Amino acid sequence: MNVVESTRLALESIWANRLRSFLTLLGVIIGIAAIIATAAVIHGLNRYVAEKLSNLGKGVFTVQRFGLITNRQQFLEAIRRNRRLLPADARAIEARCPEAEVVAWETHATVDLKRLDQEIRDTDCGGITPAILEIEPYDLDQGRFLVPGDEDRAAPVVFLGADVAERLFPNVDPIGKDLRVGGQQLEVVGVAVKKGSFLGFSQDNYVKIPYGLHRKLFGTGRSINISVKAADDARMAEAMDAVRAVLRARHHLRPADEDDFSMVTAEGINDLWSRLTQTIFTVAMFVVGISLVVGGIVIMNIMLVSVVERTREIGVRKAVGARQGDIVQQFLIESVLLSCLGGAIGVLIAFAASTALAVHTPLPASFPAWAPAVSFLICTLIGVFFGIYPALRAARLDPIEALRSE
Amino acid sequence: MTSSREPAVATDEVIRTAGLTRSFPMGSTTVHALRGIDLVIRRNEYVAIMGPSGSGKSTLMNLIGCLDTPTSGEYWLDGQPVAQLQEQDLAQIRNREIGFVFQTFNLLPRASALRNVELPLIYGGVPPAERKHRAAEALEQVDLADRMDHRPNELSGGQRQRVSIARALVTRPALLLADEPTGNLDSKTSAEIMVLFDRLHAAGNTIVVVTHERDIAERSHRIVTLHDGMVSSDEPHRRSRQP
Ligand SMILES: Nc1ncnc2c1ncn2[C@@H]1O[C@H](COP(=O)(O)OP(=O)(O)OP(=O)(O)O)[C@@H](O)[C@H]1O
Ligand SMILES: [Mg+2]
Repeated sequence: MNVVESTRLALESIWANRLRSFLTLLGVIIGIAAIIATAAVIHGLNRYVAEKLSNLGKGVFTVQRFGLITNRQQFLEAIRRNRRLLPADARAIEARCPEAEVVAWETHATVDLKRLDQEIRDTDCGGITPAILEIEPYDLDQGRFLVPGDEDRAAPVVFLGADVAERLFPNVDPIGKDLRVGGQQLEVVGVAVKKGSFLGFSQDNYVKIPYGLHRKLFGTGRSINISVKAADDARMAEAMDAVRAVLRARHHLRPADEDDFSMVTAEGINDLWSRLTQTIFTVAMFVVGISLVVGGIVIMNIMLVSVVERTREIGVRKAVGARQGDIVQQFLIESVLLSCLGGAIGVLIAFAASTALAVHTPLPASFPAWAPAVSFLICTLIGVFFGIYPALRAARLDPIEALRSE
Repeated sequence: MTSSREPAVATDEVIRTAGLTRSFPMGSTTVHALRGIDLVIRRNEYVAIMGPSGSGKSTLMNLIGCLDTPTSGEYWLDGQPVAQLQEQDLAQIRNREIGFVFQTFNLLPRASALRNVELPLIYGGVPPAERKHRAAEALEQVDLADRMDHRPNELSGGQRQRVSIARALVTRPALLLADEPTGNLDSKTSAEIMVLFDRLHAAGNTIVVVTHERDIAERSHRIVTLHDGMVSSDEPHRRSRQP
């Protein structure tokens, strides 16, 4: 018997018991919907991180006091061991590493912003050298960014993130206006394009001022993050080695000592992130996997019931010439179809859910394009795996005994 | 009709059984339905099997029809020892060589008459269009052209019986086994079915019919009577042509 015929039979039988079929499928539906919804959230996060968070371009790395730290132990060690990075370190790199084309740095302070009677507390205030623009460009909405001249004069100017501009200058053009940053009156020179929020955290709640000014206002002792762009993108590793050598020499480290600073690349950020999401995904898959196994067992159960109910039918089919293979095929196609139907419903639910999540929650969920194909594969496997035993049982029925059954 | 299988034994024996027994263990006792049947049926014979209820007629037919396996004894179909055949070969024999009319119809309740008759052709790999055509033809032969789309529960007992006859005939088998094919039919339809059987016989088919009715049996050429699982008499009848 050919597959078309078996498929038709299977559809007839699923349709004849539609309520039961649907209830049977709940496990698979929920399992598949949960897998894909989880994948959609992680996919969305990954895309966001790749596109927006790790905006370090090609051939760019940063040197930081702490870098990417994922556990407490690492953190305690780093605090003990790592020295603050200072402009002198950056200048040494500039002077001694021809492999580094651009060297820029930024330091941070948390400040309160005030304008008239409006106030925003605890905003990130970055002190930057304008060269950082060559490494990590900001999209300009209005005005201008900080320029080398600002840095040279430690000019009292400030560049705003979109949130700050929106909240403190609701209906006013902020350019040229005054803003109190940590008690100091500064002139607004520009506003960045809105980046949006990530996991509920605004990416636009910051101000940037010239590094020299930052030193004057918030002290000279703050560690800086040094951004380096390699002269040749393809030879970033060499540039990193050169920078490492310079810093180790400056910090008087012996060959056996570990680095007392850390280097971060876009790859490093992505790696860390994907390790993180992979862990989440693995845990989620395990939970969901259980629900799929349960779903599969339910399918197996219902197929066994179906075989018993249709014993006579199987007898008739065998009596008129159905081979064991024909019967196996018929029941296997039915269980695969059943499970794939559940998968299809699950995919639709996941699609709706990920769209709803993206719209109504801070999670940047994004429905992965591979989801339908992968679900189809998973469901086919479930259908075959859990359907084969009932199908074989049906096929091995003795024709006469099957015909005699009531 | 000829079989495509090995012509090792050049014989016109379609059926040969030797010491065929079939018993059913029922808890502590055993029901001996057949106690040693030796029977030879040749090509184009028309045999009626008679005997009281419970004498083992259906059991014998099931064995001959390759639906059941004997407890002991041997059975050759077209010169081939059936015990040595694989499951697939048996399925093919049931599909192509044998048309079986069951005492209890054994139709698929959810399928229309047409679909029921198509069933053997589906497993025979006949393409859909030809399948429909041949199934419709077979239903016409049993006078059910106007009931093709009805399900078994929408048909009378006699009509169901005729659907099952159509299903047995649709593959044009060389050997027709009918277990009380007229048990549910009125005398007029019975007569029509018997005419049909006569025609099949005239066309060269081998026919074995189980019946309770003397007048049906008398249309055959040979009457085998079973008693308590054994052949009690086996006699040629008026129209018989002795080989
Ligand atoms: N599967 C079975 N299990 C137990 N006993 C069986 C089975 N099949 C047949 N028998 C027994 O074997 C004997 C012969 O049964 P069979 O059906 O062959 O009789 P029959 O001659 O066809 O009778 P009828 O004319 O009533 O159809 C009966 O006693 C029956 O109870
Ligand atoms: Mg009987």
